[in-house]
Amino acid sequence: MRQVAVIGSGQTRHARCRDDVSQAELVREAAAAALADAGLRPADVDAVLLSNMELFEGRAFPELWVGEGAFACGKPCMKIATGGTSGTSTCIAAFHQVASGMFDTVLVVGFEKHSEGHTQTGMALTDPFWDRAVASGALGNFALSISEYMAERGVTERQAALVAVKARRNAAQNPHAHLQMPELTVDEVLASRMLAHPVRLLDMCPQSDGACAIVVASGDRARRLCPRPAWVRATATRHEQPTLGDIDRRLCSMRTLRDAAHAVYAAAGITEPLAELDVAEIYEPVTYAELAWYEALGFCRDGEAGRLIEDGVTTMDGTLPVNPSGGVLSSNPVGASGVIRVAEAALQIHGRGGSRQVEGARLALATGYGVYAWADAIVLGAES
Amino acid sequence: MSERIVALHTMDLTWRYASGEAMERFCAALCERRIEALQCDGCGRRYLPPRPMCGNCRLRLSRWVPVADEGTLVAWTVVHVPILDGRTGELRPAPYGMGLIRLDGADTTLNHFLAEANPARLALGLRVRAVWRPDLRGAMDDILHFEVLP
Amino acid sequence: MIREGSIHLPFAYAAGPAASRFLVSLRDEGRILGSPCPACRRVLCPARSFCPRCGDETGEPISVGPAGTVVSFTAQAGGVVFGLVRLDGADTAMLHRLLGDGMRWTIGARVRPRLAARRQASITDIEGFEPLQEPGDGT
Ligand SMILES: [Zn+2]
Ligand SMILES: [Zn+2]
Repeated sequence: MRQVAVIGSGQTRHARCRDDVSQAELVREAAAAALADAGLRPADVDAVLLSNMELFEGRAFPELWVGEGAFACGKPCMKIATGGTSGTSTCIAAFHQVASGMFDTVLVVGFEKHSEGHTQTGMALTDPFWDRAVASGALGNFALSISEYMAERGVTERQAALVAVKARRNAAQNPHAHLQMPELTVDEVLASRMLAHPVRLLDMCPQSDGACAIVVASGDRARRLCPRPAWVRATATRHEQPTLGDIDRRLCSMRTLRDAAHAVYAAAGITEPLAELDVAEIYEPVTYAELAWYEALGFCRDGEAGRLIEDGVTTMDGTLPVNPSGGVLSSNPVGASGVIRVAEAALQIHGRGGSRQVEGARLALATGYGVYAWADAIVLGAES
Repeated sequence: MSERIVALHTMDLTWRYASGEAMERFCAALCERRIEALQCDGCGRRYLPPRPMCGNCRLRLSRWVPVADEGTLVAWTVVHVPILDGRTGELRPAPYGMGLIRLDGADTTLNHFLAEANPARLALGLRVRAVWRPDLRGAMDDILHFEVLP
Repeated sequence: MIREGSIHLPFAYAAGPAASRFLVSLRDEGRILGSPCPACRRVLCPARSFCPRCGDETGEPISVGPAGTVVSFTAQAGGVVFGLVRLDGADTAMLHRLLGDGMRWTIGARVRPRLAARRQASITDIEGFEPLQEPGDGT
């Protein structure tokens, strides 16, 4: 396999409603920014991959926006949809295409326009024979698992609120982030409206319009084009059984993410993730999920996530800053969110994170999460 | 930019879903107020919804086992946000209780509505029982919701 | 077992700057706009922000048509005729209804838009395209 690196990225301004642009124009905003960032022209791209979810865009063939907005006319392209992991899965597919020698330069673009449709309703259109009549979208699903997680691991609403505050304060250093709440306090989170017990408004990710693109290149090209390429050290993707009730204690066990993390750590030679990783961009649609992921990702032992956030281990000046970008909790254009994780992790390795840069970051983790059914993990590293 | 044009359209589509053999038998049993699961000969798991394959063992399932309409609440929430029901195009009124219920005789859990929507009266481990609609139609909403047993 | 189901989902699609301008111009002035590509020199109609072939941003939109030429057409069983119409001054064809008897259409036929009396910034502000009687045309 050939060496593969992320050499550039571009993001739109993420917002509740981007009705100033069409879907294609939103895609183009990110794609053009990524090419400019990598110093490439459209003609330099060999293939284009699109990440986007089903039933959200409300039209046939949203993949047409690749040709229209992402410079793919006359080029090979494909779309990948795996729920919330769509973005990370699509990045992994691009890594494979370049690693295999099939292409030298691949553009990945993910987008979502939540404001145009009804995402939660789309997500609730599950099996028509089994659970469609009672499905409650991401919010209801999460809230159910959280009741189990809190009972088993003893996390508190206050610890979850600390995650909310960390995310939104980090987001204030990220010009792309949808939510800008630099002064947010724990008490404000705890006083925010109850959406579904115990999840409050400020525990939950927003629904954002936005797009993100990255440029993936083979070893030689990457070295020529990028002063500090973000090398792909390892990737893993895991699938799970399909229905909500299939997985016991979902948030506690999280077999997909646990397995994917262990696989990439083994491949990248990481034995102490908390100590060895410099930064992580993890897919946390709700505060409690971030705590659960700390455990699944081996940042601490099961039951210790609450202490980790209380001790500030994952803040910008902690041992392992988690989500300097503000994370999914601050911007969630779903089809783009996984691509954003990879773009932000790569930005840290490039050393171009601006005021959200983790000093001297050389090893980064990016993860994707999709409705318990999918998880992706990616390790990016600086030149060794 | 001057005027922003936004086009409003409602996607209004009809579908004809095929159940498959296992789900057909499950729905037929619902008409008689019975719940049946399929058990895996490999791992022993009793699956709801019944399905042709065990995803873990990759074995075909054919052993039907009876499941009670009573079980244990293993997760709960009270949803306060009315969700647009894509089946009808109407808002589902909130708040409503939801639970993951492990029916006696099944290993997977079932998510369904709870008759109780007061968080103070909900807890993990509570015993719950299905409340059936009088006119059974062989669909999951033949169960209106689950009531908490004393 | 077969079960009937339905899905009702409302959407609100943002047209974006180029299409908004196209639709507003159609509504207010009855004009049809196309976008010139600075790279390939094609005029794209309906107007759009960038050329999908070259990737370049398009220039200031210009009026095209209103007359045009039928590039291809299909007559549906119910009598509805759809056609691709390339408006004079444009290099791409747009899909719309052809008004009139489906049996009488030919490729190369000259057409003009029939505009709706009450327009609301929708592509249906053009009701369809009807045969154009050009000067000297005896038919
Ligand atoms: Zn099994
Ligand atoms: Zn062009």
